[in-house]
Order: sequence, then structure tokens, then C-alpha cells
Amino acid sequence: MLVRDIMHREVRTVDAGTTLADAYRLQQEYHLRHLPVLREGSLVGVVTDRDLRLATSVLHPTPFPDDARVEQVMATPPITATPLDPVEEAARLMRAHKIGCLPVLDGPDLVGIVTGTDLLDALIRLSGAGRPSGRLAVRLEDAPGRLAALMTAVADRRVHAHSVLSYPADDGRIVVILRVNTLNTHALAAQLRAEGFAVTWPPETPWSP
Amino acid sequence: MVPVIHHPDYRAYCFGPDHPFSPLRQQLLWSLLDALGQAPEAIEPAPATRADLETVHHPDLIDRVEAASSGTPPPDAERFGLGTPDVPVFAGMDAAARLLVGGTVHAVQHVLDGHARQVLQLGGGLHHARHRLAAGFCVYNDLSVAIRRATSAGRRVAYIDIDVHHGDGVQWIHYEEDTVLTISLHEAGQYLFPGTGHVHELGRDFGTGFSFNVPLQPGTQDDSYREAFERVVPQALDWFRPDLLVVQCGADAHWQDPLADLLLTTHTYAWLFRALRALADEYAGGRAVFTLGGGYDPDATVRVWALLYLILQDLELPEALPAAWLAEWQSHPALQGVTLRERLHDAPRRFAVHDAEAIARQNREVCRRLMEMAVRYWY
Ligand SMILES: [Zn+2]
Repeated sequence: MLVRDIMHREVRTVDAGTTLADAYRLQQEYHLRHLPVLREGSLVGVVTDRDLRLATSVLHPTPFPDDARVEQVMATPPITATPLDPVEEAARLMRAHKIGCLPVLDGPDLVGIVTGTDLLDALIRLSGAGRPSGRLAVRLEDAPGRLAALMTAVADRRVHAHSVLSYPADDGRIVVILRVNTLNTHALAAQLRAEGFAVTWPPETPWSP
Repeated sequence: MVPVIHHPDYRAYCFGPDHPFSPLRQQLLWSLLDALGQAPEAIEPAPATRADLETVHHPDLIDRVEAASSGTPPPDAERFGLGTPDVPVFAGMDAAARLLVGGTVHAVQHVLDGHARQVLQLGGGLHHARHRLAAGFCVYNDLSVAIRRATSAGRRVAYIDIDVHHGDGVQWIHYEEDTVLTISLHEAGQYLFPGTGHVHELGRDFGTGFSFNVPLQPGTQDDSYREAFERVVPQALDWFRPDLLVVQCGADAHWQDPLADLLLTTHTYAWLFRALRALADEYAGGRAVFTLGGGYDPDATVRVWALLYLILQDLELPEALPAAWLAEWQSHPALQGVTLRERLHDAPRRFAVHDAEAIARQNREVCRRLMEMAVRYWY
């Protein structure tokens, strides 16, 4: 999944010479927290609602007046992404710089914007409950062919996996989460256990009768 | 007497001997009611027409089901959820599925016509079927076709789903409608098929605020389940004020069910059936249609549905099941490995579950979150 798959293509921007008051009004009107700042059509910074409020706060040692220009308070140079960046790279950038949005540049052109909320939406999509499906969690040795063996065992039962998600567990193994097109995941889990797979969901009998 | 809808040919809706959604469950139920001396005179419905189906389903899906009725799936069947492990095709599939739809439609029409206030459809409840997709043992969505029948007559329908799986098909079909309220209590989607039914699924456009989901933790027991029901269902009905309830009475939240992870006893089912009737009286002029649904442990399912029948008919509940019936079925080859219990009710019980208190707390928090979000659309 790439940035271009999740970015917003309609981007509202301000000019570097816009006053803080006008920029703030724009943010209020369109419910925006981030505004890319352009000078002569080129991206030069980003101004957030927080930047505007802090710059004009009475607590600021030398508060800016309402008619100061956004270029005086914006974050510059801006941290940006490209349309071909993978979404996890966008997540790392935002986290490393503690920022909430990335303008997306294709060469010199501003072509989109990605926010933290878009990344959360991407996470939901990656977890893959788009079609009716059951969930299966299996712990695999982190060794060649184990995932292939699991997928083959599933396919042998004519079950189809809509999505596969995996992450490293504490014990050096990997946890693989499958969304499969069957309601009967308990039966599938029993069959996989019989073949030696460590199925952690669904459980065998977690309660004593 | 609550009229009962049933047709002997319901048993033709059968995916084969190893498939969990077996017509044997209804056969067991019918014979038990007979052995109890309570076998009802059933109204035999006609199959739903193509026009009925098209009020809910895409013609492409219906075409594929018709084609699959030869017993061989058409080449692109899987795109429509057919010919899969959950919905294998079988000869006569279209007719069998249509008859179940016809039964639920008949039940609703019976209420709309004023012939009865409550009707029991001893079949159907195929809540996973979607507009253009068969799924989760469900070919056509009898519930939604019947609900459409009511809404096109200008009635408002509250759909209540106590099957352990999320009632996703019904929810998505009516997701943008403000004349259908859907309420589903189920094991949470991160653990169980179909993966949806989260609290934030509240509806879309005109339907925003008309979809209620109560996703419950695996290991949920009687008390916590009843508490969740009481926190959500009466309030939602009070806001919506339906003309009619349609209730899907899946029995698979029972603790013996092999496909899911909730731990209800028969006592909670009896409580639910009485509560649902009382809610129909209070908020819907007494009007309600009850259908069957999931339920994959034959012993538990037959007892739950016998309770449904006996409670709807205001009959006294026998303590023990007839010995002759038990003897007859216990030796039946189809029930190999199944132990039939001798009593209608489970012994009241609690299960030793890891951190039952955390499960109850989480369920409570989920209800709170749901009602907090929903209230914004209702005031
Ligand atoms: Zn179910």
C-alpha cells in the first residue's frame, strides 16, 4: 500500500504572505488542522492550527500580531512524502518528526496530503475485514517455508485467505493472522493443530465446563 | 396460539452430510414437539418470487444461484460466494433457498394483514447473505426480503439478532435506511466470523444512527450478556418506536456450540424470548416475527428452539424430555458422538473462565461507548 493509495488529492493551501488571522479562519471554516504554505506556487512550509495558536498566545514571550504572515511562524523546510513511498515509510516519518501530516510532492508539484488519520484508516484496511471472514491466528517458526506450509494447509481445505497480517512475537516466532472465507474456523483450527501448527485463535476450550 | 410457518421441503436446504448447517436440527425439533404432544399445525408457505428476491438481491446473484441449482457451480460462482466451503452448491439450491425466504415473507405478511400479532417461522434466519454475495451458509437473505415487504407497506421494522455471529447481511442491506433499525449482539468481529459488527458501524446517510452493534468478548456468560441486552435494546426501541420486530433467534451463543465462544445457558435464552415478547408489547404493539438461525450443537439447539416455541405459545415448560424421544434419537446414526441431555434446561452454571470480571467490564464499556455515540443521533 503506497502513499498515493491513501492520500487526499484535493489540497487546500495558503500563500506565504497570508495573515495568521486569515489562515486561522480558513482552518476553522474547512475543519483543517494542517495547511501547506506556497510561495510562487512552490511548497515552502506547513502551518498547523497549533502553530497559529502558540504564535499568538499571550503566554508567548513575544506574541505575533494577527496580521503577521504565516511564513513567519510556519515549519520550514517542510517534511514531505512522495506518492510512491510505502505507507509504513510515511508512518515512520511522521513519528520521527512528531508531526501530524505530510504534504506529498511529485517532483516540485504538490499532489496530495496524508494525515495521521489516513494512516489509521490504512491500518484498518490492512487488517482486512473487508469481506465476511473468520479469523485465525497461528504462531510460526521464523524459518523458510513455514508460511507457505500454512497457506498450503489452508488451501488444501479449499479455504481462501482474504488477508494475511504478520508481526514478530516475543519468543522469536511470528504471529500470522489470516482472514479466511469460512465461518467454521474452529474445525479448521483443529485440523491445522493436527498437522502441528500452533493455532492460538480460535482456542480449544479456554473454559472448564 | 402463535401461528407457525413451516414446510416439509425446508429440509431441502442442505449442503451435505458434513456441513454444520444441517436440516437435522429442525427434524429433531419437530419430533421433540411431537413427542411433547405439542406439534403445531403449520402454515405452508409458497416460495418467494424472483420479484421478491430482487427487492434485496442483485439479479447477477440470483442468476448464479439458479445456474448452480444443477448441482455444478457456474465458472464465476466464487465471486458470488457460491461453491465455497461455507456455501457449496447443491442440486435444487435455488428452490430450497427461495422456500425459506417465502416462509419469512409469509410470516411478516401475516402480521401486516392483521391475522396475528406474533408469528414463528421455524426456519430461515439467513442473516449473512448480502446484496450480491452468498456467505456463511446463507444463500438468500430471507430476513431482509421480509423486512422490505414491511417497509414498502410503510412500516418501520426493528431487527434484533441474537445469533452469535454479527447480522452483517441484514445490516449492510438496510445500512442507509431510516425505516429499519438493526440491533445485533454477537461475539466480537476481531474473534469471530464475519469480522464486522463494531460499535462504530452506526449506519450511513439517512440510516445514520439506525444500526446498533454490541460486540461481546469470547467467554461472555449469562449475567454479562443479559446486562448488555438491557443496556442497549430497550433504549434503542424506545428511540425508534417500530411497528414490528423481526427477531433472528440463532442458538449458537450457547456454551456447547462448536463454532463460537460465548457461554450462554438455556436460562438466558428463555429469559431473552420472554424479554423480546415484552419489548414487542411495550414498543411495537405486540407485533413480532421470530425466525431460527445458526446453532450447531444439535442437543443445545433443539432445546433452545423448543424453549422458543413453548414460550411463544405460553405453554408450560416440561422439566424432562420424553424418554422415548431421547431413546429414538440417541441411537440415530446422524447423532453419533452427540449426547442428548435429559432435561430441557441446562443446570444453572457459571464457567471457570480466565478473568471473567475483565470480560464483563469490557462488555459494559462497549455498551457505554455505543450508547454514547448513538445518543447523538437521537437527541
Ligand atoms: Zn451464527
